[in-house]
Amino acid sequence: MWFYDKKTQYPIKITKPDPRMAIAILTQYGGPNGELAASLRYLSQRFSMPTKEAKATLNDIGTEELAHLEMIGTMVHQLMDKVPPKELEKLHVDTNYVIHGRAVYPSDSNGVPFTAAYIESMEDPIANLNEDLAAEEKARATYDYLINIADDPDVIDPLRFLREREVVHYQRFGETLRIVQETMGRKKFY
Amino acid sequence: MDEQTTLLEQIMAYDFALYDLQLFLNTHPSDTNALRDYKMALEQSENLRRQYQSKYGPLTARYLPNTTCWQWINDPWPWNNKEV
Repeated sequence: MWFYDKKTQYPIKITKPDPRMAIAILTQYGGPNGELAASLRYLSQRFSMPTKEAKATLNDIGTEELAHLEMIGTMVHQLMDKVPPKELEKLHVDTNYVIHGRAVYPSDSNGVPFTAAYIESMEDPIANLNEDLAAEEKARATYDYLINIADDPDVIDPLRFLREREVVHYQRFGETLRIVQETMGRKKFY
Repeated sequence: MDEQTTLLEQIMAYDFALYDLQLFLNTHPSDTNALRDYKMALEQSENLRRQYQSKYGPLTARYLPNTTCWQWINDPWPWNNKEV
């Protein structure tokens, strides 16, 4: 189970609204390489992990992804909050407004709603961990793209933090894959 | 930055260090240096958390201040930008 801590994992204090950037960042909320997909993927896959290291890694990275989901939601909210509807129309983000208002809804930047089809969870831990390595790189690349189009240091700073976490998670999944392969090798599974 | 935010960001920094070490220890459970760092950061975080909660109210619902009113619901929530 989980307990809530009343803070984000990394500080977010955006003072300059930017609805276009909000919609760009939204893909990391409910898009294919987003934090919701990451969290559900690892927290579902953990049930079939064979070693104690792998169980802990999937459990804890899956949990951290929920904290990242909260960071992304906070960024989208602060970038969109109180922007007048006419302004949203001028910036061509009014199609999102007429469906959800200025709420945070799990979709990608094009409005495609979140789907569990973005993730896989198999009994085979080698297959899962290889998917996880790819997922971290795809999320890292998405953060690169977002940083490329961002101007505000208050937006770039948390995006850089999140990008760095993808790199660290990739490292930990690589170590986990090696541990699982060695363990399964010893047990002569093949 | 006000005193409350400064203190909260110190807690966030130690808690982040703790979480990063936790992930590292999951794949390096016998690393005594990481274990020592974890212990150090944990003491710091718990100490700062005690200070913060006694001054500014609960960070978790399980902190119960000596008042007659439930404080957990009080603003700010993490997604609220106080400065806007």
